[in-house]
Amino acid sequence: MTRREWIALISAAPLLKAAPGPGDAAPATPVAIAKCASYDEDVTARLATMFDQLGGLDRIVRGKTVTIKLNMTGSPGLRVDGRPPGVTHYVHPKLVGATAHLMGQAGARRIRFVESAWATSGPLEEYLLDSGWNVRQLLAAAPGVEFENTNALGKGRQYARFKVPGGGYLFPAYDLNHAYEDTDVFVSMAKLKNHATCGVTLSMKNCFGMLPASIYGDDAGVDAPNENPTSGRSNTMHEGRRQPSRSAPAELDPRSSREPGYRVPHIVADLVKSRPIDLEIIDGVESIAGGEGPWIKGIHRVQPGVLLAGLNPVSTDAVAAAVMGYDPRAARGTPPFRTCENTLLLAERHGVGSADLRRIDVRGVPIAGAMFRYES
Amino acid sequence: MLRTVPWVALLSAMPLLASIAPPSAWVPARWNSTDSKSLDLLAGTPINCLLLTTYTPEFVTGAAARGIATLAVLKPGADPADPARKAVRAGLQGIVLEGDFPAGTAARVRDTLADAHATVVELTSRARMPLGGPDPIVGTYQGVWPGIQVLDNGAAKAAPSGSPWIDTNTGFIRSVRAWGPASVWLGYLPPAHTVITGERYLAAIADAEMAGARWIVALDDDFSARLEHGDAAAVRNWRGMAQVLQFFEGHAEWRTLRSYGKLAVVQDHDDALLSGGILDMIAAKHTPMRAIPGQRLTPDSLQGATMAVDVDASALTPEQREMLKNFARAGGTVLTAPPGWKGQSALQPDQITLDKAELDRLNDIWHDVQTMTGRKNLGARLFNVSSMLSNVLSSDDGKQVVVELVNYSAYPIEDVSVQVLGVFKHAHLITPEGVQKDLEVYVTDEGGTGVDIDRVSACATVRLD
Repeated sequence: MTRREWIALISAAPLLKAAPGPGDAAPATPVAIAKCASYDEDVTARLATMFDQLGGLDRIVRGKTVTIKLNMTGSPGLRVDGRPPGVTHYVHPKLVGATAHLMGQAGARRIRFVESAWATSGPLEEYLLDSGWNVRQLLAAAPGVEFENTNALGKGRQYARFKVPGGGYLFPAYDLNHAYEDTDVFVSMAKLKNHATCGVTLSMKNCFGMLPASIYGDDAGVDAPNENPTSGRSNTMHEGRRQPSRSAPAELDPRSSREPGYRVPHIVADLVKSRPIDLEIIDGVESIAGGEGPWIKGIHRVQPGVLLAGLNPVSTDAVAAAVMGYDPRAARGTPPFRTCENTLLLAERHGVGSADLRRIDVRGVPIAGAMFRYES
Repeated sequence: MLRTVPWVALLSAMPLLASIAPPSAWVPARWNSTDSKSLDLLAGTPINCLLLTTYTPEFVTGAAARGIATLAVLKPGADPADPARKAVRAGLQGIVLEGDFPAGTAARVRDTLADAHATVVELTSRARMPLGGPDPIVGTYQGVWPGIQVLDNGAAKAAPSGSPWIDTNTGFIRSVRAWGPASVWLGYLPPAHTVITGERYLAAIADAEMAGARWIVALDDDFSARLEHGDAAAVRNWRGMAQVLQFFEGHAEWRTLRSYGKLAVVQDHDDALLSGGILDMIAAKHTPMRAIPGQRLTPDSLQGATMAVDVDASALTPEQREMLKNFARAGGTVLTAPPGWKGQSALQPDQITLDKAELDRLNDIWHDVQTMTGRKNLGARLFNVSSMLSNVLSSDDGKQVVVELVNYSAYPIEDVSVQVLGVFKHAHLITPEGVQKDLEVYVTDEGGTGVDIDRVSACATVRLD
């Protein structure tokens, strides 16, 4: 696709939604975009408008248990230029608080924030404190707010098994913390970022962090989970150098590619197929470009000044990728998927949703009006 | 010797000496200028002792008139006795022997100056510090330049905790201070051929002061020249340094408090000399701890502790090993390093940090320490402090706890949480910038006391009552 064709596409996307395209078989739902220059703006009002544009939050959360997977990748001690992680590579606590507040107002019965905290099975509250978040404020944002670290068994008695309908790409099923099962609504709250392995990390890639390091980590137990993990998942999941704990379903084909650029996108597509996401919120107010965290060489801080929300992760991520200046259907070898598979297309092939911009109804600010190119 | 010092010179200096603080209260700085006007820079700062390599009578008299002690710095190479006598005759309050002089030199010079009541400060290598002696000041010329360690690619080097690794002298200082009440001076210089920002100087001051020592303020040549010429940025940085110095020196009572840490680290003297060792690793986790030199292990030193790490059991006497057994019998937890763990290679005279082989060895015991301490509150738990180090102290009766925080990054840190063991009704925040405010206290999940701090620039202290 030429640059001219690309600009024409994103400008015409809402008008062309009826046109036939490659993602036709998968569902496409509306995606809302809002401009938000800084976290000092009224983030709550921006979110409220977006939720209204998606049909209202009440119908999604009233009387329900809502589980929100946060993106807090990497140790909270590692910072970009010494800045709070919320303005670089974590979702921002103001956005998290605003979401909880609106969900509480919309009648959510319980709001459970979850994340697999890096290299620890300790309480998520402590991880949040280490990130500079005010846990007491978050607890006060709405009734029924709670937290769970899903990096291990946590408060559950056993892991929940999520089978990949129709069979997975890499694993037939994944064992996750109970929080991902004991919920009525599942929300992925992600950051608008590049990713060294996957090109972009948005609402779907955020779900890679559901994998408990107790089972899928580098120091996971061989036979049973290690409930005190202290490592990441690189050897096991990115590179396939070892297998997860035998308590979990084994890899379908241990002879398949060990290349992270192949494995991680396929695992992510499996995960979002097995644990559907009901609502996506993407924080692009302030972020980083060039990678997902301070450990990636060449990253830099950016201020796209944008928020996105949607009801289908493939569609939401497609619009988010477009806002970043990328073609969401780009093939491997082209930006941003230079060295990896396109997670969006893998998920589309799984039938999760459509990455075809022509089929997606963008509400609020159009893509062209919100675009912030992550690469020149 | 006094008989060689002209009485007239001494008598003429007497009225001026009266206003000079005792050596234990000296706040030292290296001073390159002999221009009396440069003393104006010290107005409003707590610096009251200058280390001089050259001096003039006017400068010495001018300093004394301001209540500033002056010390002549003498280096190895020639017999220091004559220049020491000359310095005292010129009205200086004493000398600093900086470097490793032949054994017995300091005693001989002290004897020479005994009748003049002049002060002799030794700045030796760490290994040769006369610990536990009668000197009011013990010092070393060695030290690491405090700050977040940066890799070649510009990224911060990660510590085992996943946090940036902070180069610090605090572990060493804790060990030295456990030997006795002497003032501890660190005389290391700013690194050469390096652009040093104002924040790094603040960290150097605070790193020493937080642990109860004093860094001998020393400016790099560029900073020094700009300051002398009244460069606005240099003056601003200098004022910032004075502010941090005043912050600590204005609270002399903090030096008299004892560690609130429930974790005792019993360590051989040689191990304690090195920075980056077990004490610094524990400090990086913000686990309050007390350093106990093996030679100073007593039942009293373990009073109030609930855990102890015995880094080198072979260095303890049978009686001391029995003390640790009794500590365990009384309910304490003791972690003993495995036999043969300690490195066999002798330390090099200029070595002040662990080499890679020693760090690798240390990882084993470090893993055990982490497993033992886990998430336990051993005095205080701190959050969002990865670029900081802390010191948690208490009064003897435990009714007052002081939490000192030093930020080693170039950026202020926002939203720091402190959870202290014990119930306290009031919390008060103090910063060098002049912030003095009460903090809201809340009960933590474990029944302790929690406070939240909005912002920490260079350093801050929370006092809980």
